[in-house]
Amino acid sequence: MTGLRRAPGIGIQEQNGAVYVAPLPDGPIVVLDGVAGVIWHAACAGDRATIAERVAEATDAAADEIRDDVDAFVADLVARGLLVYDP
Amino acid sequence: MAAEVNEVGVSVPLSVRLRFGHAAVQHLADEIGVDLLHIKGVAVDPELRSGRDSGSDVDVLVRPGHVDRLDRAMRRHGWRLYSTFEWGSPFGHAQTYLHDAWGYVDIHRFFPGIRLEPGRAFEQFWRDRNEVQIARIGCHVPSVTAQGVLLVLNAARSTNGRSVDVRMAWVDASTERRAEMTALVADLDASVAFAAATGELERYRGERDYRLWKIVSEGGSRSAEWWARIRAAPNLGAALRVAARAPRVNVDHLAHRLGRAPTRGEVAGEFFRRPARAVREAWRGIRRAEPGR
Repeated sequence: MTGLRRAPGIGIQEQNGAVYVAPLPDGPIVVLDGVAGVIWHAACAGDRATIAERVAEATDAAADEIRDDVDAFVADLVARGLLVYDP
Repeated sequence: MAAEVNEVGVSVPLSVRLRFGHAAVQHLADEIGVDLLHIKGVAVDPELRSGRDSGSDVDVLVRPGHVDRLDRAMRRHGWRLYSTFEWGSPFGHAQTYLHDAWGYVDIHRFFPGIRLEPGRAFEQFWRDRNEVQIARIGCHVPSVTAQGVLLVLNAARSTNGRSVDVRMAWVDASTERRAEMTALVADLDASVAFAAATGELERYRGERDYRLWKIVSEGGSRSAEWWARIRAAPNLGAALRVAARAPRVNVDHLAHRLGRAPTRGEVAGEFFRRPARAVREAWRGIRRAEPGR
């Protein structure tokens, strides 16, 4: 399994616990607040098969209970061109 | 547990928008091969910034020969022209754009106070440029010495002196940094404007732009400022262009005041109101100058 990384031409900022992500130069600015920001960081930090485990560790949730939601969210980020697969 | 990518109904802090604004303009410039330097706001070195807020817009200095290409690309990518070079400022140096996501961007084709030809001045800054990360995008900025010079020159255009900028960039600078700045100011032929900000303008009383910087830095009537601009112009052609501009209506300003494009009648009405305003200013100037009042 491979990882994920920020897509080329994507700007990122973090402020007051929120992650702001924007495709440049057109936008829009996407706000990843709370657990959404946790998933973003987890998605960029290792094998994509274990993203749910990293999110579970950071949030004290059970990995099996959140896996479907986490995977769907990550798929959405990829579909929007914010993340790309990192072979 | 549910998370969703939120695009609507959330507010994004201005400081975040501005950083993205810098990154967006740089990304676009890289795509189309345009040279530009980020000046002011968050692009300024922390050593010169004094922890103030990041301003209200993005400012970039563009290689003059690249301005048209950048203008066309920005319009294709959602930036709308907000004010033009002609009417954006009395110096004609900057043009403002507005983008729904990034807010305001000012494109500078030269920097007021620098008398060196704009292309050569840009090259001087470009040669010693640095790179900083803004929103994880590498953005070109002038050297710290050049940033200091630009902050002081910018302060010269403010009647309140922007004393914080002058203090941070000049008064508190090391002896070595001041020597570097002085040398750069000489290379840029910017001594008069620089002196207007540092309190040494009277050393330049004989210079053609002395009166202009005196009024810009200390205040004066609009008509006195236009006369000073005409006198400061480097040649007859430039002086005539300034003179031709002076009595015309600032259409951008009128449009923003009205909230829509002005009609021909409104432009004409504004034209006839302006001379009356100039006469009132001149009258006030005379009254101030009269002794014993």
